[in-house]
Amino acid sequence: MRQTVPALILLVGLVVVAGLSSVCALDTFGSGTAEQKSSIMITGYQVSPEVLMRNDIGTVTVTVKNMELVNSVNIKEAQMLSPSVKVLSDYYLGIGRLGPGESLNLTFTLKAVCLDGIYYPRILVKGEDAQNIRYSIPVTVDSSSLTIGVKDIPEDIFTGERAKIELVVGNPRQNTATGVKIVTENNTVIPSEVFIGELPADEPKVASFNFTPQTTGAHVLNFGLEYKNGDNIHSTALSVPLNVTESKKNAELILTGIEVESMPGVNVCKITGDINNAGLKEANSVVMKVDDAEGIEAMHPYKAYFVGLLSADDFSSFELNVEVSENETQVPLIIEYKDEDGVLFSVAEYISVDRSEGTTDTGELPVAMIAVLVVIAVIVIGLIAYSWKKR
Amino acid sequence: MIEVLTNPNKFFEERMKGEESLKIPVLIILISGLIGGISAFFIAGITMELLREALPPEAMGIASTIGGIAAFIVAAIASFVSWLVFTALFFGISCLFKGEGQFKRTLEFVGYGYIPTLIGGIISVIFMYYFVYYMYPTMGIPPVTDPAKLGEALEPVMKSPMMQLSYAIGILFMLWSANIWVFALKHARKLTTKNAVITVAIPMAAYILYSVWQMGLM
Repeated sequence: MRQTVPALILLVGLVVVAGLSSVCALDTFGSGTAEQKSSIMITGYQVSPEVLMRNDIGTVTVTVKNMELVNSVNIKEAQMLSPSVKVLSDYYLGIGRLGPGESLNLTFTLKAVCLDGIYYPRILVKGEDAQNIRYSIPVTVDSSSLTIGVKDIPEDIFTGERAKIELVVGNPRQNTATGVKIVTENNTVIPSEVFIGELPADEPKVASFNFTPQTTGAHVLNFGLEYKNGDNIHSTALSVPLNVTESKKNAELILTGIEVESMPGVNVCKITGDINNAGLKEANSVVMKVDDAEGIEAMHPYKAYFVGLLSADDFSSFELNVEVSENETQVPLIIEYKDEDGVLFSVAEYISVDRSEGTTDTGELPVAMIAVLVVIAVIVIGLIAYSWKKR
Repeated sequence: MIEVLTNPNKFFEERMKGEESLKIPVLIILISGLIGGISAFFIAGITMELLREALPPEAMGIASTIGGIAAFIVAAIASFVSWLVFTALFFGISCLFKGEGQFKRTLEFVGYGYIPTLIGGIISVIFMYYFVYYMYPTMGIPPVTDPAKLGEALEPVMKSPMMQLSYAIGILFMLWSANIWVFALKHARKLTTKNAVITVAIPMAAYILYSVWQMGLM
């Protein structure tokens, strides 16, 4: 009997538990049968571009899938809701039926009008006889721009000499930038555009430019970095200040020993002298000529004088013939030469024409010859007079 | 021989006592012609230089050589011709003054009168050399493509100061020769001094006027 009482208590307990379980089970089964709602899910999403910059326009594409194995679901409405990111696209209304196991992509356009940060716009999908879905998608806004800077530049930049300038472009963003290019409108910089293309996150690219200045002084080279984040075009400017000086090594042509011999009878001067290269580099194809000017005209046989190659610390003689009108006192000379790259240089020099000195030199009759003439005349007249005296 | 320069009257007076001989006068004229030929050679060189674009390059070398030699020979011959012409003129004019004497004697004496032109010729050659090699290249005269315009191209050369000096020297020495010819004709044609002066002065005046015209002073 002692053993019978506990056994009864255990049996009653089991019955109670079993009864409660049956009640719960019946309640659950009973409610599911009453609503009969189908199951749809958001199985994936994609944000493009992956990371937006402020004021960028991007898209969010969500994939809605009917998880039912037998029944189709009528999708009535889909929309994106966000208090921070501006949604540009309208509602999707009356989308239609989605078969069992089928999926559907819905794209929403948004604009990142907010500050940098991570935002969670919500996707709301309503279906007929299906549960409404509310799904938050993370959208990152990061306004970090691509960087551009000078990687390498010569310490000294000289006129007429090519200087190589290397620029480096970096991508500090979390996503890849596309259509990256560096442009410049400076005529003395070649090339005017370097296309880099795609630049992955956290990677640098180097672009080289050649700068050949023609004038000395301060120069500012303006470069523009252009790239795309998704379909959004962005740009960054870079100004590179430079100081251009005269080359210390270039050929330096100077004239010495200039002599001007004039013949006033025909107004033609013969200019002779030496042309010296006082620079450290050789001058190629050196040509000396008389510049065009009123009252000045180059004459044969030396209208121009070709010197040719003039090495450093070397010199060459030259001769030019020029007709100078009476009222001109200077003859403009042009010295042209090329450097090793074929760049043409031109130097102007002015030669003074002093006719008073020229006449005593070789211009008119030399004094000695006039003296000879006078002596001959005196001797002849003397001898004639003598012969008549002796008659 | 020096006496013909210092005292031509006495020289010809002495020569009248001897036989007529043209050996020395011919030699004088020949040397005078050779000296004149050198000057002509220089001028021919300038002429060929001006014609370098009118002639083909391969012909230039031959033309320069032939032109120079031809100018030399012509000048030498011209010297003999001028000797004969002057003698003939003097002989003819002296006939107006009833001059007496053989043409050969006149020719001989006139030939002696060319001695001053030898000195003048040498001086002219020196001046011409200086002109051709030092002054002409600075004149910048362009070459002519049309030989018909050669005279025009040569005008600056002929009127250059150096050439004018050469003409002036030529005139001076010709005056000296004229002085000798006065005494030569006085003895060869038995003229009075006055008539001899007139006989010589007429052709000389024409010659000097021509020379002055060539100098561009007229």
